[in-house]
Amino acid sequence: MAEQIDEAMVIAWLDGELDEVTAARVAATVASDPALRTMADAHRAIRARFATAFGPIADEPVTMPTPASAQVVSLAAVRAARAKEVAAPPARRWVVPGAIAASLLVGVLVGHGAFAPNGVGDRAGALALAAPLARALDNQLAGAPGGVRVALSFRDHGGAYCRSFTATHLSGIACRGGDRWQLRYAAPGNADTGDYRMAGGDAQQAEMVAALIAGEPLDAAAEREARERGWR
Amino acid sequence: MDEFERALASLLPRLRRFAHGLTRDRADADDLTQRTAERALKARGQWQPGTNFDAWAYRIMRNLWIDTVRGRQRRDKWIAPEEEGTDVGIAGDAETQAELHFLMRAMDRLPDEQREAVALVMIEGLSYADAAEVLDVPAGTLTSRLVRGRQALVKMLGGN
Repeated sequence: MAEQIDEAMVIAWLDGELDEVTAARVAATVASDPALRTMADAHRAIRARFATAFGPIADEPVTMPTPASAQVVSLAAVRAARAKEVAAPPARRWVVPGAIAASLLVGVLVGHGAFAPNGVGDRAGALALAAPLARALDNQLAGAPGGVRVALSFRDHGGAYCRSFTATHLSGIACRGGDRWQLRYAAPGNADTGDYRMAGGDAQQAEMVAALIAGEPLDAAAEREARERGWR
Repeated sequence: MDEFERALASLLPRLRRFAHGLTRDRADADDLTQRTAERALKARGQWQPGTNFDAWAYRIMRNLWIDTVRGRQRRDKWIAPEEEGTDVGIAGDAETQAELHFLMRAMDRLPDEQREAVALVMIEGLSYADAAEVLDVPAGTLTSRLVRGRQALVKMLGGN
């Protein structure tokens, strides 16, 4: 048999991907060729090992999430609520998705006067970041250490620059709007425990990034360039 | 439960196995499985009856994982790495678990593209055509990633 049988063909044969005639031809060739047989045995053994180790996982029951829990981060619901300008403050975390004007503000609860001595109010610029945070977002590159740490820079669907960050008492996502950094998402920080991952908070923040981001996050070069242009 | 939910429920154990192959971490795998189920329920309007449900659900899981990794790669620069997942909740004796752990470490060393091809075909038993559909790549691309991944595993683990 003149036909060359390569490793890809042997693997396809083991995977049952060849038609009957070709499979028979490969089987015959492998049987008569010690090198091919060794190769086939090696692949067969690996596959068997994985089947033995991973197989039982698929025998374990998995609980279906209830439709209710599937609704927890329903962006459609959040958008609908926003369209109606309904104030709906959840207990600890709050979410203000999309391009948003201060007039559309959802009621928010951010403790400890992170922005203003009396807390966040319903006024223009209410969600603009205070100077130290804004400076950090202006200047710091993603990944750089410091009291405020920026995780990710990206553009939203309106073309505005956004950055996700963690500070001592606050973590969130801010986007450029009206020459300022405006919060789009925030959660109270947890610096006391040293746990910056804030069990559960990261997942929600990631969901928000996913909802806001247009395209890919900025790479280091694009980020530096955006910084030089003042994030405009 | 309607037909869609039944199909999803019966696929979930296999999705969870795929999650183990993808994430190589048990806690991540469980988390990814739940998120995939939630996303699938929310996106059920996007599934067209008569098309390949399994491929659709596997694709959701794979894309969610890509997003997770992308987010983490940026975050891990400034956040302490997550504690390794605990070993609770997995059936099997200690030896089986050690073997699973060992094989997941081997999967760690494959490039992402090869790992997902290997997980779909060699662990999940998907046909090449279905795996190519999940990954949205041409058949030839799937085959070459799969073959390179398998060759690397043979090199790492030996043939027996």
